[in-house]
Amino acid sequence: MIFTVKKRDGREMPFNIEKISDAIIKAFRASGELKEQIKASQDQIDLLGHEDLLSSTALKVAAYAVGRLEAEGKNKPDIEEIQDAVEKALTECGYGDTAKSYILYRAERTRIREVNTRLMHTLRDITFSSAKESDLKRENANIDGDTAMGTMLKYGSESAKHFYTMMMLKPEHSRAHSEGDIHIHDLDFYSLTMTCCQIDLKKLFKNGFNTGHGHLREPKDIRSYAALAAIAIQSNQNDQHGGQSIPNFDYAMADGVRITYRKSYLSNMVKALILLTGKTEEEIQPVVKKLHTEMAEMGMVATLVPNEKFVEAEARELSKTFDAETVMKAQKFAEKMAYEETDKATFQAMEAFVHNLNSMHSRAGAQTPFSSINYGMCTEPEARMVMKNLLLTTEEGLGGGETAIFPIQIFRVKKGVNLNEGDPNYDLFKLACRVSAKRLFPNFSFQDAPYNLQYYKEGHPETEISYMGCRTRVIGNNYDPTREISYGRGNLSFTSINLPRIAIKMKSVDLFFKELDRMLQLVSDQLMERFAVQSKRKVKNFPFLMGQGVWIDSEKLGWEDTVGEVIKHGTLSIGFIGLAETLVALTGKHHGESEASQELGLKIIGHMREFCDKESKRLGLNFSLLATPAEGLSGRFVRMDKKKFGIIPGVTDRDYYTNSFHVPVYYKISAFKKLALEAPYHALTNAGHISYIELDGDPTQNLDAFEKIVRYMAEVGIGYGSINHPVDRDPVCGFVGVIGDVCPRCGRSEGHAISEAKIEELRKLYPGMPVFRGVR
Amino acid sequence: MSEKELNKFGEGVGFERIRRITGYLVGTVDRFNNAKRAEVNDRVKHGV
Ligand SMILES: [Zn+2]
Repeated sequence: MIFTVKKRDGREMPFNIEKISDAIIKAFRASGELKEQIKASQDQIDLLGHEDLLSSTALKVAAYAVGRLEAEGKNKPDIEEIQDAVEKALTECGYGDTAKSYILYRAERTRIREVNTRLMHTLRDITFSSAKESDLKRENANIDGDTAMGTMLKYGSESAKHFYTMMMLKPEHSRAHSEGDIHIHDLDFYSLTMTCCQIDLKKLFKNGFNTGHGHLREPKDIRSYAALAAIAIQSNQNDQHGGQSIPNFDYAMADGVRITYRKSYLSNMVKALILLTGKTEEEIQPVVKKLHTEMAEMGMVATLVPNEKFVEAEARELSKTFDAETVMKAQKFAEKMAYEETDKATFQAMEAFVHNLNSMHSRAGAQTPFSSINYGMCTEPEARMVMKNLLLTTEEGLGGGETAIFPIQIFRVKKGVNLNEGDPNYDLFKLACRVSAKRLFPNFSFQDAPYNLQYYKEGHPETEISYMGCRTRVIGNNYDPTREISYGRGNLSFTSINLPRIAIKMKSVDLFFKELDRMLQLVSDQLMERFAVQSKRKVKNFPFLMGQGVWIDSEKLGWEDTVGEVIKHGTLSIGFIGLAETLVALTGKHHGESEASQELGLKIIGHMREFCDKESKRLGLNFSLLATPAEGLSGRFVRMDKKKFGIIPGVTDRDYYTNSFHVPVYYKISAFKKLALEAPYHALTNAGHISYIELDGDPTQNLDAFEKIVRYMAEVGIGYGSINHPVDRDPVCGFVGVIGDVCPRCGRSEGHAISEAKIEELRKLYPGMPVFRGVR
Repeated sequence: MSEKELNKFGEGVGFERIRRITGYLVGTVDRFNNAKRAEVNDRVKHGV
């Protein structure tokens, strides 16, 4: 007789036959094998209920299984032995279909158990290892995995991934993801959020906004404009899993400068008149203020670059009270002082803005918001003042001279606006190059690249090209071709394809394209599945993004409305990684080495783009092709492929797959050739792209070369580009530049100390030197 | 030697080396995962 069973953890439990029959009932329900009999028994108004037929049959099978175990002499069976016996019992009693569904049920339980174990291992790793040891904790370099909140985020993120893999993804998508055929990005936010959004600050500021912690009124000077811009980015970060981009930083901040100038001009006019006339503030202030208010109502205001209409009208009116010479003097004084004060206030505002974006927290305090700002083409004097000061404060660095990590700055380049000598913003382009040569930002985007220019309408900043974060681009709009703009739109989700694996598996080019098509369709279906989940979310789930009207048309929705219609303006993107390795696997050479490979590369990526366009048409949505940035992903794919296919030279022999369509980083090539080879891929990857150039040494010593590269980017049709160079800093003496083994300023080598006397001596030479901790 | 010459600062303090990887700047390569670190190490400079 069986009295006890052994559980998986080794404990012995009293035997209960009902547990076995319960599992068998589930299997019968799944197979439907007893359906006919149950129906028949119902029709006969059997005294036994139909459920009882089910349970009595199940009990019979269970008893049969127990009999089998006893016959085999298993008096303390374990779970596996019981399940084996049930399987056999079902078959032998003639319930073949139910036996099959029981086996499936068993397999599913095993899978869940294994994944649960894996989750526990993951959670243990998060709990007990430091970020230095744990690759997992370093997955996102901008989240500090060692802090309490960083760890809490990681628990949530890993558990959520686990849940979605088990419960929400279609099995074929889940399998393709976990086996590394594809990568579903930001899986931890699968049912919650969209990726990113381009925030139209001008619209947001117009009526003020609510962060969820109180209403912020329309800002009243450049300092509050900049402060509110940072708060908007922070608030929006909590409603999305990607980054926040400001597409119109120059245009939006210019409004703040205008207001600041007007106020400053008024107060300086009052000051001047007090000094020149000897009258009191009480006598002067109300007169000037009243005059300015009346003039403003007639559309006349003081402007950074003085406008005749205002100057003349003000002179005429003031001359009724004061003598003409006094008025003229006062005007000159007020203009000069207001300009200087506004310039200073703007610098401080930009300094605080950058500082805020590097120190403010979102997501439970563990992460600085991912922020990008685009600017460069607004030629109004107020916007130029904003850009100049933003660039100058970026060049100076944060408090201790550190390079700011955020925001990602993107300087928009256009012929006739800023690229060439004589262009109104040419001075700012030069300055942008100088600052980027020191601080790695700004990056450069190119409005004249044909695929960007096609959307541009002069006088409509919303049609200027914008990039988000590391590369995302949203401008075309198949869903609503009348709204081909950047404002209020973003990416919904993206999934990347492991291209090298297809090449390794298929070997021939023909078969490669066949398998690629299958994979593209799989990803498209998966993106649509996710889109359906996202569509059911409501405005209230995104209190800032949707609740404050940041996302396009969301202001037309109510709190309880679903967002399905308005998010159709967003993009669904298919990404790819490792074109270089793919080409090596197919032809033996990557596109940096061979023209034939370049041709094939363009054919592959062109084919993927065609697929996206076709899907957009078919589904009435915006499918786009992304040159995946490879965050956390390139290592995962190659690790799995190494295991599957072994080390293949030029394909799986490194720890990473090459970023999107890039020429491999280890390949020696000139900057110009690299850019010329990569530019045609920019035209194809409409969801986003970037090309990098690596420069040796300190490019601030060779600004001509730096500028030459940026100009070449414009010439060959790069859409978005950036130049990398070493930016080192010695926290002890504050030197920023290239540091080899020895710091060129204080002469110490890594880890070595210098004396207090030496620090004092250096401070005389470099008064701006930061105070190192512990130094008086 | 004076007190100020004996007082030493910076023992064990490394240099910060800011690098850009997948679009983002990070102050120290320690916070990159293994694959990214390998990629940074492999980079060669491009001639102008
Ligand atoms: Zn130093």
